[in-house]
Amino acid sequence: MSEEKIIEIRDLTRIYGDGAPIRALDGVNLDIERGEFLAIIGPSGSGKSTLLHQIGILDTPTSGTILLNGVDITKMSDRERSRMRNEELGFIFQYHHLLPDFNALENVMMPLLISGVKPSRARKIAREMLEEVGLADREGHRPNQLSGGQNQRVAIARALANSPDIVIGDEPTGNLDSRASDNIYELLRRLNREHNQTFILVTHDEQMAKKTDRIIRLVDGRVVEDSG
Amino acid sequence: MFELDIAMKHIRSRQRQTLFSIIAVALAVAIIIVSMSMMSGYMSILIDSTVENQAHITIMPGKDEDYIHLYRGLEDHIHNLEGVLAVSSYFQGEAALQYRHDVEGVVLYGINPYDENRVVNREDDMLAGEFASLERPGSRIVVGLRLARNLGVGMGDTVTARGPGAEPTDFTITGIFATGTQADETTAYANLERLQDFYGARDVVTGVGVRVSDVYTAEELAKRIDRETGYDATSWIRQNAEILSMLETSESMVFFFYVIIFTISGFGIANILIMIVMEKVGEIGMLMAMGTSRRSIMLIFLLEAGILGMTGVIIGSVLGYIAAMAIASITIPVPPGMYFGMDHLPIVIEPGNFVTAGVFAMVINLIAGAYPARRASRMDPVEAIHHV
Ligand SMILES: Nc1ncnc2c1ncn2[C@@H]1O[C@H](COP(=O)(O)OP(=O)(O)O)[C@@H](O)[C@H]1O
Ligand SMILES: [Mg+2]
Repeated sequence: MSEEKIIEIRDLTRIYGDGAPIRALDGVNLDIERGEFLAIIGPSGSGKSTLLHQIGILDTPTSGTILLNGVDITKMSDRERSRMRNEELGFIFQYHHLLPDFNALENVMMPLLISGVKPSRARKIAREMLEEVGLADREGHRPNQLSGGQNQRVAIARALANSPDIVIGDEPTGNLDSRASDNIYELLRRLNREHNQTFILVTHDEQMAKKTDRIIRLVDGRVVEDSG
Repeated sequence: MFELDIAMKHIRSRQRQTLFSIIAVALAVAIIIVSMSMMSGYMSILIDSTVENQAHITIMPGKDEDYIHLYRGLEDHIHNLEGVLAVSSYFQGEAALQYRHDVEGVVLYGINPYDENRVVNREDDMLAGEFASLERPGSRIVVGLRLARNLGVGMGDTVTARGPGAEPTDFTITGIFATGTQADETTAYANLERLQDFYGARDVVTGVGVRVSDVYTAEELAKRIDRETGYDATSWIRQNAEILSMLETSESMVFFFYVIIFTISGFGIANILIMIVMEKVGEIGMLMAMGTSRRSIMLIFLLEAGILGMTGVIIGSVLGYIAAMAIASITIPVPPGMYFGMDHLPIVIEPGNFVTAGVFAMVINLIAGAYPARRASRMDPVEAIHHV
């Protein structure tokens, strides 16, 4: 694995509210390398989601900096942030968040269409992605015609469709039974190996975390353990 | 364009509600098109009947003068102005016409029928006889239909005319006309020379009527004649200023109702869009996470407003057209001679009205869509994604 740093987080602090401020993140420092497969764990309310939102450029920090591929994302315009989310980042949430009016294939095509890829090419890439997650035969199904595990696979295919450098997952298996969880974990692991993309997964499933390369433990918005 | 894909899916996912909002817009557009077509109809009938039956410009003697003395020179001068089609000098006087025991007061015009006909197309209005019968300076008279009825006279009858300072004279009726206007009751025509004689006047006239090619340039031309000749020239627009301004006022009143009707239909659009935005909060968050710009989010919902509005406008235009045609084809019983002789509602189908109604509707619909669209585009992605 290369030693190329893809994410550099410095003194990252996120304070919510002004009356009785909550320090959701409290001076986090973290370096992540390309191709890493890491888990963020910690008790509920420890700031895991907040950290992912920061890395995913969905939120802005109160102070501190985040470099993605050497670029400080905290100083970007709204437009650049959108473009960056589209091209460099893939998101998987606890709930699949597929667009209910679109079928599996169209859902996977969406990030490609957003970035301006021609529909014919987007369809081809999306088919390949669906094949990779084992749902080639379900491309015409809508989310309400698929199981929870299948929908989460479609969501994964969608997160990877635009070949992002970084894939972040906030409890991607939190809503699934243990068998489906294992399958999803195996799938993510395989995709990580095949595409050499960086995977950052928040989980409270210790078993799952143990299977990753590196575990970051957060408590009260601080990194208390970094093992890998 | 993925924005359009998403907009279309949103609309399809709520077919019943979107249908209602489309119908609301369509009805608004249809109602307004019918109403505008009727306004145009009334307007054009009013203007047509005015410019057909009146001189476009009337030239009267200058201040403190009773007559235009050198009227032939004036005629020549006006003839040579650009846009002038015809000029007719006349001698106007008041008279009482008597037939047996009936007496009616009239305005008596002494004219050259050839010239006068070119200015007001009177020959077309003849029910009986010929306007041209006044060509030779005999004691012939052409009267309006209602005047003839009031006197109980017909073609060939002889009426006695009395005027201030004039010898009572017998005139033979050689024509009856009907214009559908007030003139039918109050106007009679005779030969110019005969009437000058009747009133004991020399070779003078009391006015000159002018017909122009473009009725809307009449005012400008009247001003010029006024300036160049020193006579008092008035255009039909100024003569009818009151009725025209009344029409304008009623048009702006109606416009106010259009705004209300469109606003109501606009609320339908706003309502369905607010509903969609509320239902799709999580989806909007996910679209933002996938890198959809705020502008694109805005565009999605504006497109929805535009598509719903446009569909409504198209359906409404067709409906409005059909309704206007249907109304125009209904014959309604009106006493003849009233309402300019119309026997059905005046409808003029003008493409301009469709464009106005359509653009108007679209503007209001986009304004209606702007609020939900803006709200969607301003969402915080994190809050939106975790919204349940
Ligand atoms: N939008 C918010 N407004 C106020 N407080 C928030 C908000 N989001 C998170 N928090 C607070 O920040 C802390 C960290 O939250 P979060 O990152 O969601 O924790 P985790 O994902 O580890 O459970 C918690 O105390 C939470 O209540
Ligand atoms: Mg969380």
